[in-house]
Amino acid sequence: MEVIWEGIKKAIILIFSGNREIYEIIVLTIKVSGVSLLFSVLFGFPLGIVIGLNKFPGKWFVTTIINTGMSFPPVAVGLIVALIIWRNGPLGFLNLMYSPIAMIAAQIIIIFPIIVGIIMTVIAQVNIGLIQQAQSFGANRMQLFWLLLKEIKIPALTAVVAGFGRAVSEVGAVLILGGNIKGETRVLTTATIQMVRMGKFDEAIALVVILLCLSFGINFILTIILRRNGILWIQKS
Amino acid sequence: MDSKILEIFDLEKNYNSNFKLSINNLYLERNKILSIMGPNGSGKSNLIKLIGMLEKPDKGGIFFNGKNISNGKVDYLKTRKEMAIVFQEPAFFNTTVYNNIILGLKIRKINISSVKEWLDYLIQELKISKLLYRNIKNLSGGEKQRVSLVRSFILNSQLLILDEPLANIDQLSRESLRESLFEVIKTFGKSVIYVTHDRTEAMILADYIAVLNEGRVEQFGEKDEIFHEPANEFIARFAGVETLIYGVVDENRKNVCTVRIYKNDMKVFVTGNAQSGESVVLAIRPEAVILFNINIKPQQSSAMNLFEGKITEIKDIGIFKKIEIDCGFNLTAFVTQDSINRLGLAIGRKIYAAIKASSIHMFKNC
Repeated sequence: MEVIWEGIKKAIILIFSGNREIYEIIVLTIKVSGVSLLFSVLFGFPLGIVIGLNKFPGKWFVTTIINTGMSFPPVAVGLIVALIIWRNGPLGFLNLMYSPIAMIAAQIIIIFPIIVGIIMTVIAQVNIGLIQQAQSFGANRMQLFWLLLKEIKIPALTAVVAGFGRAVSEVGAVLILGGNIKGETRVLTTATIQMVRMGKFDEAIALVVILLCLSFGINFILTIILRRNGILWIQKS
Repeated sequence: MDSKILEIFDLEKNYNSNFKLSINNLYLERNKILSIMGPNGSGKSNLIKLIGMLEKPDKGGIFFNGKNISNGKVDYLKTRKEMAIVFQEPAFFNTTVYNNIILGLKIRKINISSVKEWLDYLIQELKISKLLYRNIKNLSGGEKQRVSLVRSFILNSQLLILDEPLANIDQLSRESLRESLFEVIKTFGKSVIYVTHDRTEAMILADYIAVLNEGRVEQFGEKDEIFHEPANEFIARFAGVETLIYGVVDENRKNVCTVRIYKNDMKVFVTGNAQSGESVVLAIRPEAVILFNINIKPQQSSAMNLFEGKITEIKDIGIFKKIEIDCGFNLTAFVTQDSINRLGLAIGRKIYAAIKASSIHMFKNC
């Protein structure tokens, strides 16, 4: 119990002491997870809408692939990406191994199917009459896309929350591909593992507390957006 | 400018459910009202989706303002913006009534201030001023349909398509909304396609009527033609003809035919130009039947047909009472409560029923 308490105290000290290494780790964690989330949202939302709305041959197969991707083990993703970017791999010449780019690539592979899968499922539930109504107004594809996105904004935010949660807590793939290099690829999860291995439990707890605060902070903001949306609803009705 | 805003030729569309829509010819004159009538499943909504360019036909052409809009060569976004559709089951975006109303204007980049007067009129006439800032999800079916009408009328499109706008509304709301809607349509003054299965609505509103059955147009023409000269039994039934009698033409003297009823060899006089020996159906509208007290035989009447019969049923249908009479064939008449009192009509009572030969419509029995 004392170790936990010490860890929490150390976390507070670490956060407010201006420890450069800790700030670097936090910034890199946000960068890697943020970029992978941004990429997945930018491409995952349109793809989810397209797959959800359209009927095409092999849709069942695409859906199965996406559903499998939603639960794909991160270690397997890390291994596959490593085999591709390893010195002798097909993209070895890019020298991406042990770089934040490799970590971002892995996280995209992990969270992209989550985003696409949620959006695809949600959009399929949208009333077809709504789409026809917008089309009858003369809405072009882009207008239709924004209208539908507005319509599913709450589940869309849930997809963002789920994607970010998965990215920030990911450890297997980033450890394989980043290598936990101090000042270069060390993120909160891999740094925690390092501290546990070294027996520095207080520092490990401190890192976990920071990780939890980060995760809580992002979720808190998104939940406020969701809640405000709900409150506005009640007021206006 | 072409006097026809819409014209359809040899249109065909096959649906998965083994249903085929096949329209040989149908058109709408500019600034007129065409009512498309038909039972459920006759293809009315499918036709609307084809006209509104929400579906593509397999064959044939739909010409809007003289341009073929069904061949994929037209700017479909621009053309859609020249029409507006009110769907039978309107769908709304999860926001306020006002935001839903202005959505079409935003999509079409129409400045709200340019239509403000028209919008104010619609809001007032369709009684939604108190609903504007409520979320659409909290409105009743009738209120939602009012909003749906406003958001389509406000677009001021060249062609407005209303797909059974009063179908999913309770009786009480329907009557009040019908009154407002017809008033707005009159003020709107542009071309309208009004889909309905209610002949009263079509009778009040339409200039032209097309009756659809099993994906085909059974009859298309001016309103009076449909109601008074139905082309076949289906149209007759749909147009509110209660009595259909099957017989054969015995003779034709100066376009007054004597028709012998198959069932009992009774004779009915009808104006028309059928040939002797031709098998025909006689359609008698209930309002064309005049009833007389059995003690006052109206021999001096101008009506050529006078039948003695017995009342078998009296049914209340609102303003009128529906009287079923057995005159050797079943004859239906509409009378007022006042007439019932004056003539002392009751079940089992004998009466005379008179029908003018010119009030009976005759068509070939196919």
